[in-house]
Amino acid sequence: MLSLLIEKELKSIVMSPKFVATFAICSILILLSIYIGINEYKSATSQFEAANELTQQEISEQSTWYSLYSRAIRKPEPMQIFVSGLAYDIGRKTIVSQNRPINFVHSMYSDDPIFALFRIVDFSFIVSVVLTLFAILFTFDSISGEREKGTLKQIFSNPVPRAKYVLAKCIGSWLGLVVPILIPILIGIFLVIVMGIDLSGGDWSRLITLMGISLLLFSFFVVLGVLISASTRRSNMSFLVSLVAWILFVLIIPRAGILLAGQIMPVPGLAEVEGRTEAYSKDKWKAHYDKMEKIWIERSAMHEEEREPTDEELWSQLEEDDARRDSVENDIEDYRSRQIADLRRRQAMQRTLAFSLARISPVSAFQLAAMQLADTDVDMKDRYEDATKQYREDFINFIENKQEEEGVTSGMTISISSEGGIKIGRPSEGKTIDLSEMPEFVPPERSFASVFGSVATDFGLLSILTIVAFAGAFVRFVRYDVR
Amino acid sequence: MLLTIIEKEIREIIGSSKFVLIFGSCAVLILLSFYVGAKNYKLNRIRYEAAQAENLRQFEGLTDWYSIQQHRIFLPPDPLATLVSGVSNDIGRTVEIEGRGEINPLGSRFSEDPIFAVFRFLDLEFVFGTILSLFAILMGYDAIAGEKERGTLRLSFANSVSRPVYILGKLIGSFIALAVPLLLAMAVGALLLPIMSVSLTGESWIRLISIGSIGLLYFGVFLTLSVFISSATERTSSAFLILLVVWISSALIIPRASVLIAGRTVDVPSVDEIAAKKNLYSRQLYGEDSEKMGSFVPENSEDFDAMIDEFNRFMGDLADERDRKMRELSERLNEERYNAQKRQEKLALNIARISPTTSFTLAATQLAGTSVEMKNRFKDEGEKYQRQYGDFIKEKTGSNPGGRMVVVRMSDEEGETPEAIDPTELPSFDFQQENLSASIDKSLPDAGVLVVFNLLFFAAAFAAFVRYDVR
Repeated sequence: MLSLLIEKELKSIVMSPKFVATFAICSILILLSIYIGINEYKSATSQFEAANELTQQEISEQSTWYSLYSRAIRKPEPMQIFVSGLAYDIGRKTIVSQNRPINFVHSMYSDDPIFALFRIVDFSFIVSVVLTLFAILFTFDSISGEREKGTLKQIFSNPVPRAKYVLAKCIGSWLGLVVPILIPILIGIFLVIVMGIDLSGGDWSRLITLMGISLLLFSFFVVLGVLISASTRRSNMSFLVSLVAWILFVLIIPRAGILLAGQIMPVPGLAEVEGRTEAYSKDKWKAHYDKMEKIWIERSAMHEEEREPTDEELWSQLEEDDARRDSVENDIEDYRSRQIADLRRRQAMQRTLAFSLARISPVSAFQLAAMQLADTDVDMKDRYEDATKQYREDFINFIENKQEEEGVTSGMTISISSEGGIKIGRPSEGKTIDLSEMPEFVPPERSFASVFGSVATDFGLLSILTIVAFAGAFVRFVRYDVR
Repeated sequence: MLLTIIEKEIREIIGSSKFVLIFGSCAVLILLSFYVGAKNYKLNRIRYEAAQAENLRQFEGLTDWYSIQQHRIFLPPDPLATLVSGVSNDIGRTVEIEGRGEINPLGSRFSEDPIFAVFRFLDLEFVFGTILSLFAILMGYDAIAGEKERGTLRLSFANSVSRPVYILGKLIGSFIALAVPLLLAMAVGALLLPIMSVSLTGESWIRLISIGSIGLLYFGVFLTLSVFISSATERTSSAFLILLVVWISSALIIPRASVLIAGRTVDVPSVDEIAAKKNLYSRQLYGEDSEKMGSFVPENSEDFDAMIDEFNRFMGDLADERDRKMRELSERLNEERYNAQKRQEKLALNIARISPTTSFTLAATQLAGTSVEMKNRFKDEGEKYQRQYGDFIKEKTGSNPGGRMVVVRMSDEEGETPEAIDPTELPSFDFQQENLSASIDKSLPDAGVLVVFNLLFFAAAFAAFVRYDVR
């Protein structure tokens, strides 16, 4: 009985003229999005490689340890072919040096704003906008439409249990829509391989999970359509209700949730935090120099009155001064990291709130999970900053060790004395520094297992919503007036 | 006769439950986008002022103008930019002014607060471009085919109604019935701005009204298109399906896909390449200069102050010369990139203009000052400010900023302490929008495209209906 009903449902979907049209469009869009994704990924990769080469070249031309700098460059992920997420919004690179803070700048969109005007079309966009719409288009009249045509009355003149009927409706429409969608998806994945994109084992697991969660979202909208259809009497009413639900879920709630969180929990801008740090740093240095001035004056007074200092005394004085300067530097650095940590903490709170609000819509849950799977989520920036912080420490240690080994070589010295006037000393010409042991930046990587942990919540949420919608459709239909 | 038909159409639309539901959600969205825009603007304003205050605060207590470091200017928030965000959240907003050299705006909103980039903003451009076009389709898809299915079309033509008058009445009636409520919602939304104490200049009001008119024009394109498709099909379900496909491609796919694909066919030198060339040249110049520096011998080594002055002059001249050479190279490289970008823009956008949504977005962002050109505009304004700042510092200190050595001499005599500078004397950065008439001129071609679309679909609807089988 069940299989008969499923077969009937399948036939009615596959045979309808709108099926051919929508199937063709979905296929074209899925393939187009993957094709664009591959192109964008390739251009991002070549840009990444070029940037790396240029950095290597710049580094190799440097001649002093003091001014040596390096860069951390964000590596494109192959999964961004399917889910571009924030890959093009977040800065691509930062300078890593002793005296500059980490700041990822030059996002693709800020370099080429023309691409920011309409943003990108990728697989996750097609799933969350186009496929959900089609799921609803095929199911909104599944119950109310049959009632209007009078076929519902006919069916229940036979001994068909309602439970089986509604189950068959859901399964039938699901099969009729999911199987055809799988075809362009598989061709798209094949395209990825043919166009020479190298996917690692982890990427494959991510890709398969992404497809799984896409189908889950699709299933939710199929069942939602049936639920709405079983809750309304006329098909044009069920259509309107479904469409409003779709607009809310896809276009409004995700954005509104984030904006609401932005209003409830405002976060200060980076420019403000930087300005505050600069002001703090200026105050500290001023206090330091005022104090040093006094100390120097005391010292010279002491020396004039008593005797010339010995080398040892001079040395210990220099060390004292160095220690004082270091402590000021450390103090400022601490202040800065406290400020940044505070900013990040507030951003994290804002994020938690925003995403909880946005997750009222299953589409947001899907998109957030998809970004996690592609490593193009909001936390990507923090991950890169953390990795770069680690790298910066290694890099500074390396420079300090080298300077200790070879003696300090600063860029330029200016000496002023009452006898010789002003003299500018230059670093020895043509001297190269040995960079073979310089640490290299390693982009952060997450194992599939740790990613899956954060995706599981959304997976669970979507499953629960689908089951609830199904139960709702079931309950509504059992009481449905089939006349 | 025409009037009766228009009246009938208006009554029919306004009385339908479909209208109530759809218009209700559109009105809520329009109001929400104004509300969110105003709120965001105020938040941005607070941030902007805080950043400015922190910037000035760091100079407090300084006693000489050339000790100013890390002087920053910021892109000021604009209420129109929060309503039609365009690229305003994607471009760098903060510039460090060093007094010489090329400026480099960094720190885009989306890069700093990626959370807002996840789903982007709910702005007026989105509501019009995506939602209202869908609204137009929903209200127009059954205009003819639906009446036919219900049999009312046959009834109408049992009377002596001429077809041209009927279709004209349909189009005018549905446009009035839908546009007037939308205008009301927009007017209420716009009223929210002064109520929430967001003040717009007269010029901004004109811009906002123009954006609204372009929006209505765009709405008209989808409405006439819907009536056209409706009178070219027999059944409402196929009319709707066709329109939905057109909507998805026009509003969601064509603008994105064509800009990405066409844009990539034009080779634009990357920012990294250009930066590397500049770095290389700058180091080369510095290397040459450091030789000259090494052979610097002061003429006067008796008077310490005169010696420092001479030294600073020497260093300043070298820096000025380096600056000039760098500027030449930068200008050349930037121009190359700029020209390539223009070519890219032209190709990509012209292809994208197949879709009326592209034309609408381009015209609206042009009017709001948030078009693709915004980045270069901010950079130009920033450079203008940098020159102004350079002149100011020169006036105060006698030499160009940068390349100067500050000598701090200690003494134990309790001499007079030097007076602190007043940081508020610094010239303030005043971002000038493109002037109104230029913006309007630039948005006219796209407005023209929308008018042409309207006329085209109108004529098509007319032609299709004259031959329509009303039975």
